[in-house]
This record gives sequence, C-alpha cells and structure tokens, in this order.
Amino acid sequence: MALTLDETATKVPGTTPVGPAMKGRRTRALSRHLRTRWQLWVMVAPAVIVTLVFAYFPMYGIQLAFREFDFTAGLTGGEWVGMKYFTQFFSSPLFWDLMRNTVAISLTTLVVGFIAPVVLALAVNQVVGVRRRRFTQTATYLPHFISIVVVVGMLQVFLSPTSGVIPNFLGFFGVSDTNYLGDPGAFVPVYVISEVWQHCGWNSIIYLAALSSIDTHLYEAARVDGASRPQIIRHIDLPALVPTMVVLFILNMGGVLNAGFEKVFLMQNPLNLSASEVISTYAYKIGILQSQFSYATAIGLFNTVINFAFLVLTNQVAKRFANTSLW
Amino acid sequence: MARTIRSARPRTSRRALTSTVAVAAASALLLSACTGGDDASDDGGSDASGGGEELNILVVKHPLTKAMSDMAWVGELEKAADVSITWEEVSADWDQKKSTMLAAGDTPDLIIGANAITDSDLATFRTLFEDLSDDMDALPNVQAMFDEVDGAEAMASQADGAVYALPSWKEFWPQAITRQYINQQWLDTLGLEMPTSWDELFDVLVAFDEQDANGNGDPSDEIPFDWSPVTTTGYGYFQPTALLGSLGLPITAGGGTGYFVEDGEVGNFLADERWKEVLTFLNRAYAAGLVNQNVITQDYSAYQSVARGSGDTASVGFSWGWTASDRFGAQLAPQYASMAPVPAEAGQDAPVTWSYDFENLTANHVVVSAQTKAKAAALRLVNAFYDQDTSVQVLFGDLGTNVTKVDDTTYEVLPPADGQSDPSTWKWTSTLADAGPLWIREDLDVTLPTDLAEAVEQSAPLEEAVANVDPDTDVLPPFLKMSTEDLSTISLNNSTILNLTQTKFAEFVTSGGIDDGWDEYVAQLEASGLEQNIELYQKYYDEYSG
Amino acid sequence: MTTTTLRRGRTPGDLLFSIGLGTVIVLVLFATLYPIYFVLIASVSDPTLVATGKVWVLPQGLSTFGYEQILADDRIWTGYRNTLVYTVVGTALNLVVTLPAAYALSRREFGPRRPLMFFFAFTMFFSGGLIPTYLLYRDLNLLDNWLVFVIPSALNVYNLIIARAFFENSLPEELFEAATLDGVGYLQFFWRMAIPLSKAIIAVIGLYYLVQHWNDFFTGLIFVRDYDKQPLQIVLRDILLSNQAFAGGAGGAGGSGGGAYAQQFADQIKYGVIIVSTLPVLLVYPFVQKYFEKGVMVGSVKG
Repeated sequence: MALTLDETATKVPGTTPVGPAMKGRRTRALSRHLRTRWQLWVMVAPAVIVTLVFAYFPMYGIQLAFREFDFTAGLTGGEWVGMKYFTQFFSSPLFWDLMRNTVAISLTTLVVGFIAPVVLALAVNQVVGVRRRRFTQTATYLPHFISIVVVVGMLQVFLSPTSGVIPNFLGFFGVSDTNYLGDPGAFVPVYVISEVWQHCGWNSIIYLAALSSIDTHLYEAARVDGASRPQIIRHIDLPALVPTMVVLFILNMGGVLNAGFEKVFLMQNPLNLSASEVISTYAYKIGILQSQFSYATAIGLFNTVINFAFLVLTNQVAKRFANTSLW
Repeated sequence: MARTIRSARPRTSRRALTSTVAVAAASALLLSACTGGDDASDDGGSDASGGGEELNILVVKHPLTKAMSDMAWVGELEKAADVSITWEEVSADWDQKKSTMLAAGDTPDLIIGANAITDSDLATFRTLFEDLSDDMDALPNVQAMFDEVDGAEAMASQADGAVYALPSWKEFWPQAITRQYINQQWLDTLGLEMPTSWDELFDVLVAFDEQDANGNGDPSDEIPFDWSPVTTTGYGYFQPTALLGSLGLPITAGGGTGYFVEDGEVGNFLADERWKEVLTFLNRAYAAGLVNQNVITQDYSAYQSVARGSGDTASVGFSWGWTASDRFGAQLAPQYASMAPVPAEAGQDAPVTWSYDFENLTANHVVVSAQTKAKAAALRLVNAFYDQDTSVQVLFGDLGTNVTKVDDTTYEVLPPADGQSDPSTWKWTSTLADAGPLWIREDLDVTLPTDLAEAVEQSAPLEEAVANVDPDTDVLPPFLKMSTEDLSTISLNNSTILNLTQTKFAEFVTSGGIDDGWDEYVAQLEASGLEQNIELYQKYYDEYSG
Repeated sequence: MTTTTLRRGRTPGDLLFSIGLGTVIVLVLFATLYPIYFVLIASVSDPTLVATGKVWVLPQGLSTFGYEQILADDRIWTGYRNTLVYTVVGTALNLVVTLPAAYALSRREFGPRRPLMFFFAFTMFFSGGLIPTYLLYRDLNLLDNWLVFVIPSALNVYNLIIARAFFENSLPEELFEAATLDGVGYLQFFWRMAIPLSKAIIAVIGLYYLVQHWNDFFTGLIFVRDYDKQPLQIVLRDILLSNQAFAGGAGGAGGSGGGAYAQQFADQIKYGVIIVSTLPVLLVYPFVQKYFEKGVMVGSVKG
C-alpha cells in the first residue's frame, strides 16, 4: 500500500518510448527529486560505495564457473567451456543425494530455527522481574559463542552410545539404544536440535528488541479489559513481531540450500555419510582440497541461483500477502 | 533523454565524487604507508649476491611449535646464508589459505612445510615456482643428497625433469608408521598364547571380552578391539586396513584411497576380494561384541582417551598405534606387546605383508617462488637447510638445549628440558621437526629420543612382513607426477567412489550383509569410474618404473 | 516496571499459565546452562576423563594446565589488543554506514529505494569469490593492512535490512510529519529523532556487528600475513585446531609422533579457549541489554 505512494512522483520508466514533452517532464521530476531527496542520497551513499567496490567489482570472478581454470592464462583467461561444470555436477551420481541431504538439513533448520526464537522471545518477555528476565536472556544466548569444533566435540561426549548422558537418559525411558552419532536417520534431528539449542537465544534478541518498542499503554488497556496473559501475547506481543518475522522469513528462505559447512563436515562419519554429504562438503572435498576451482565455482553458483530464486519467490509472496517486502 | 539526465546528474555525482575521492585519498595514504615497508625488501632483493637480502618465508608448522624467531638454529641459519628472514607462520586452515594465495599468484619467496605445496598444486601452479634443476650448482648440499639417497631425485623431478619442490631424508624412522599391539598382560592373566591366525585372534578377543582380563572385578569393561576413526575421505594409519597385510595385499601409507601395486599391476583394494575377507572378519568381531561399539563414530580424542584406561587398569586389548606409550600412555605401555602381523589362515600360501610408508624420504618440503627478487639468497638459504648440523637441529631442536654434538658425526638427542613433556611433544614444541627441509646423512650416529627408539624397537616384529614387500614391484609411490587433467579425473571419480566405499565400510562392519551386497557394491564401484582411475594410475606407475 | 506488576496474574488461568511458563523457562535454562557449565568444568579437568564421558557434575583430575598454556602464549595478548581495536573501530564504522542508509531506505517517498534494496540484497547471494576479492584487496593495498578488518565489511546487508524494517515499522510517521512542518530535513530528523528513538535496534545491530568482528577469523586467515596484526580468533584457532592436527596426523605425515600427550593437551585447551574468548563479549551484553527493557522508547517519546 504505502509502497506505491512514491512511485508516481519520481519513477522514471525506462522502457516505454517517450516524446520530447515527456522528456521535459521527466527532467523536471528528476531535478525535483534531487532537490527534495538529496539528503537521502547522502545517507545511502557510503553503503552504496562500499557495496559497489567490495561486492560488485569482484563479481567478474563468476565467469570462472564457465571457464577452464588455467593459471597461466590468468584468472579469467581460461578456455570458455560453457555449462561443462554444471553438467558435470548435475550428472554426478551423487547429485540427487546431495540435493536431498542439503534440503533436508537446511529446510528443517529453517522451519524449526525460525519458530523457536519467536517462542523463546515471547516466553522470556513474560518472565516477571527485571533481573530474572535479564538472567534468562543472557543464559539462553550464551551457547551462541561456543565454536563449532567444540559443539561437535560436546555432541561426541553427550551422545556417545556407551557413556553419553543423553542416550543413557533416554534409555531410562525405554528408548532403544540408537547410535545418535552414526544413524543416518538421526543426523538431521541431532544437527537441527543442536543448531536450535545454540542459536535460538541469540536469534531471539531481535524479537526482544521489537517487543521492547511496544507501547505499555496497550498492556494497561488490555488489562483493564480483563485480557488474560495468553490473550495479551496473542493480540499485542505477537502482532508486534510479525513485521520482523516476515523479513527474517524471507531472508531465511534465501538459505534454502545452505547447510552449515563446518558443522556438517565435522559431524560426518562413514556411518552417517549417506545423510550427511551435502553440497558444501562435496564442493569442499572436490574444490578446495583438489584445486578444482572452476568446478567449485560452478557448484557455488548453482547453489546461489537456487537460493536467490527462493528469496525472490518468497519476497513476491510476502509482498502480495503480507504487504512487506525486501524491495 | 540521456542528455537531460546528464544535465541533472552533477548534483549527485559531485557528492559521490567527493566520497570516492575521500576513499581514494585514504587508500593512497595506506598505499604510501605500505610501500614504505615494502621498499626495503625490494631494494634488498637485487640478484647480485651482495648478501644481507631479506626473504619472506611462509612456513607451515605444527600448532604446538614455538615461534620461528625463538629457535636458535634459525639465527645461525640466517647468518650462514647471509639473509634476513621475515617469517609468516601458519598452523591452521592452510588448505584454504593456500588455494587463494596460489590462485592469486601471490607467493612469498619460499614456502616450507611437509608437503605444504603438493604435487597437485604443482600440476596446476607450476609457473609460480622456480625450477631448481638448473640451479644445482648453487645447491651443493641438495645435489649431494640426490647423489647419495636412492629415489630422492626421482621423487623431486617432474616428468620433464624440472625440480620445483625438494624432499627431506632422515633414516631413523621405522619403515612403517602403524604397529600392532596386544595386551600381553591380559594374555598372561588368561593363560593365552599370542595368536597366529585370524581365528586364533578371534578366540583371544572373545576371551578378553568374556573374562575379567584386566582383573578389576568387572568382566564387562574390557574393549577387546579398537581402531582409529576411519574418515569419509579415505584410510590412514592405525586402521583395519592393516589386516590386508594378513592376506598379502601390499598397501602404502595406511591405504589412502585404496590404490596399490602388486607385481607391477595397479589395483584398488576397495574392490578386492581380500578386502571383502577383512570386512567379513571385522563384521564377525563386531557382531560378537568384540569391537568398541563407538568405533565408527568416535572422534580421535575419544579413541586415544579410551585406551588410557584408568590407573593401572587397561581397557583395550588389541589395537594399532605409533608406539605403546603414545597409544596407551606411559603407565600402561609396559602391559602391551608389539605383535607380528598374523596370516589370515595358518599355513596360507600368500606371504604376510605390511603397509609400506614413506616416512624417511618425504616429498615437497620447500619451494622457491619464481617471482622472488632475491633468488641467489633464496638458493643460499635452501642449501643451508640441507647442511649437516642444521638438518639435525631442524629435526630435533637446538644444539645445546635439545641435541648435543659429541663429535663430527655423532649426536645425542637430549631428554625434554622442561622435565614434564614427553619426547615427541618436546620435539614438536622446540622445532619444525619432520616438517622442515633436511637431510640427515646416513653415516651419522645419532642417539635417538626415547619415543623414536621405542618405535624402532617395537618395529622388530614387523620386519619379516615388511621384507616381503618388494619396493620395485609392490609399492605405489605416493609422488607420481600427473597432469592437471588426469588429476582432476581421478579426484572427481574418487569423490564418488569414496562416498560409496566409506558408507559401505561402516555398514558392512556394523550390520553385515557382505556376502549378499558385495557384487552389487563392486558393480557400483565400477560404474563410478574405478577402472578409469586404475588405468590412469597404471599409466603413471609404468612411466615411473619404466 | 508497571507492566510486570500489572501482568502478575491472579486468576486460575493465569496461575496455570505462570506455572507452565516457569517450567518451560527452567527447562530451557537447564538445557543452555548445563552445557556451558560442562565447558567450564571440562576446561579444568583431565581430558582423558572428559573424552571418555566421566566428567558430568564436578571437575575430575583437576588441572589448570590448559589455561596456563593459553595465558602463557603472548600471541594471545596481541590478538586481544588487535581484536579490540578492530571491533571498536569496525562496529563504529558499521553503524555510521548502516543506520543512515537503513533510514533513507525506510522512507517510502524515496523513489529508488526498491532498486537500491535489490542492489544490496543481490550481494548477499552473488559474489565473485575469494580470488578476485584477494586481487582487489591487493590493488587497494588492503592486504596485510589492519583496515581490511574494518572497511570491506563496513556494511552487512542482513543488518541493513533488519534496521530498515525496524525504522519502517516502529517510527511513528506523525513525528516526521510534525518535524517537516518545522522545516527539519532528513539528516536532521535522523540525527535528532530517529536515532534517539531507536536505541533498541541500534543496540541489536551494534551487538550483531560487534560479535561479527569478534568472531572473524577468515579475514585474518586469507588476507593477513603479519602475525602481529592477527586477531584473537586466529590465535585461538591455531590452538583449537591443533586437536585436529593430531586426528589428521594419524592419517598423514604427522603420524610419526604428534604424540598423544600433546593431543590431550590440545583437548583440554579447546574448552579453555571458549572461556577466554567469550568472556569479554559476555561483559558487553548487560550494557546492550538495558535498551531492550520496556518503556525506553515510549519514555523518550513522551519525554
């Protein structure tokens, strides 16, 4: 709705053929735009420059995906091979396994990892007493700082079939002795749960900030109307989070083929490999370790294109139904 | 339209311009600041051997190793070669750092480290490095090593005779890295004999499992059989590939990606019937509960820690390791005996073999950048590394603190001076050790540190098996020089092959089904390009040996 | 804290809700605090006992060897100092670049905001890869230069998007309209009104950036050669990954004696490293946290 307000005033349609009269109008519109909006331009300028220089300029490297990497001919001097490396990837016997595993891991992480911080933020927000609330908050965000190497090391200790505390605990309730580190079926749950455990608190910070901006008068009014706490959560707190949630959901959808490389790699073992070989670990093994730069670039580009397509798609859907969009 | 826009533009672009100018000015500042530093090295880099040149050296060292500038031999080395060195020390994530550095063509004057620049890097980036084959006049020590050490020159040379990376030679290391250990005290306690076949080994493991072998009153806390975690990218030391020797299959360096040579024929044991037999034996042991139930999923820390037992109570019966004290801890080490490889069946025809590891002659320890501005200085330094005294110090540490020079050809490695480290930790803390470029002369008499002496001593039971391997026809050299294209084919196929074999290894060992699944498994391997890879290996092996 | 007292429920439903909530919070706290506690006791326990699952409640085989090794390494202190500088300067620059841009992009009357947002969002996905970036940095003389930790990462698009969404949804439009009537321009409004009213989001974005700089090891790894300029994370990673050097060593050239003792040493150190590297970030959080408390924004509007 509001998004369209600006369009008519300053938009310069570039496709329709225009006559001299239109041209004059457009010039006037442009100069008016600059006269009234120059301050906004000043504000975005540093960001634009940094992005142009450090993000756009190096993008010529993408063509490596379509060229043979030939060091003696320079980075982009190698022979043009078109889709060779993409075809190589698509026709790899591992391709569908990689896709399946990657999507299973990232999609589950995406869904669970999206909901959990919202729930946590709402719950923490309900904790009575400033100090208790602060303590809860701090405690839940702590795991975020444990490095992946150690998290995987801890999974080893906690999930060990013989001495691990978790299998022993679950065994207590009659859950049969699965090897959670080796069973391919357990890989995604273990990965996702540890991921949520580690980042849920950290990711809820943004929602806590959003909750803090709610006008306290709303609560007082609700209280006067006799609303219960669940009702207040549903009708005041949750709506305040929706705009942030939509934006984060769109962004998360752009990670549909992203499964955290380092953690997956460290959690891999021959028993769970059928569930744990993902695009990024494959690209690492073949690309970095074997110097197959063109192939690795092509795989990366494929990954990016799919991710970006999902982002664009989600963005369009959000624009239509939630009235929020990234652009 | 274009014109009108241009006329309207100055407002913004001036502003954009000012920011650009600001950025440019800032970077110009940096630029001058930086070149200020660089100038010195550039000036010093004249090729005339005036001496005192600065060299930038990247060294890939062990994370424990102290700073290069803290090693006394480094100062002497600088003096001997008349250079001044700026070190860049790397001990983690080298692969990632390296690929960017090489692809950007940005190499320091020298790169030092154990296989820091691999043959595969050399195939892709050879123009980055100096061909040393025509500089041997400036490298008399290296030339002497090539003359005296069998295979050293072959290892360093590309197919066209170019030499980009130099190897190291030290002769004290046992031929094999993996040794086989059994708890002798358990055998004695239970009144058992040292096993001499797989069946006997199996029975011994059963006894370990069922009885209270360690005598702590609990008959179920013994782990009869354990091995080092098998990775998803191939096989290595201390892993059950060692059992292939029982069937006479000669592997190199712990197995790697499975390729081996037997009577001049290249094969891959991953599709070999003898590997099937090993897997069957492992599964039999696993199913009987004789193998550590965490064996596939445990990490290296757990693997090492479990074997330490607690106090005097050992917990592992049969396993592989470097030395007994390294594997089981100093306290438990005396309980273990190094054990000769057993034939799979008593009285079988095939002679028993053992993995042939190249630990004395190791490839690619130093490369010189082709862009170096101080080539003469770089060569002087390389030559100085291969000097007799320097080599000893590079390997074991400084003369005085780590090593005593008794006379011209006699050295004695001293025990750790800090009084608490073990000898190998001490060595890795003190110096580059095995990572450095060095040549230990064969006529030297060196009193080894206790860990190495232990490894040598405990290698005795392997001697016969090692002798059964003919280096000329049964060993696949790890340093075959291949073309970029062939390397890429091989690694592409290998990634598919290993994805299958490593998953299947875990499945076969823990769940069985080998007899039913083997043919399909082999068929899948063949469909993944195994034959193509074997042919390529054969081609390069024939070139090498012919 | 009027809201909390107001919300203290007395009806049976509210009581039930409180009990449910309390249980959940306690479980969550246990799930997060226990592993942290585990890291703490593991960092002072015998690593053999940790790896074999014998350390659960109290430290076993007490030893401060790991910490001694970490703290005896003077590279740690250089790393600390460097990281501190990069983090402070970097975060400041980040905020200066991100916030005004986010505000400008939140203005609905700013015509090019959609193409600009696309322009930014595109770079979250597509990049030229490491090698062109490396060459660019070399041409800009950013290699081996501390500014490489600060300038190229001056803008994180993710944070830009979050900040923009916040400005868009939380700044009352009436404020701007009133200000425009007084002849206040965008820059002035941003500085005088938007910033003071957005402390919560600034705190969050600032924290995100701060942690991003604090954890950054990759920049140092690829673009910096001089160890004196390396941040703490590089130093710690060298120590941390030494553990894997042994694991790899078992299958590689280092098999000839990394030594099991050394491997144990590395095991203990890895837990200590977490404590050493996380502590300072923990100390910052309370300062950031107070901006999340209710009433900060409303209070300042009213005031």
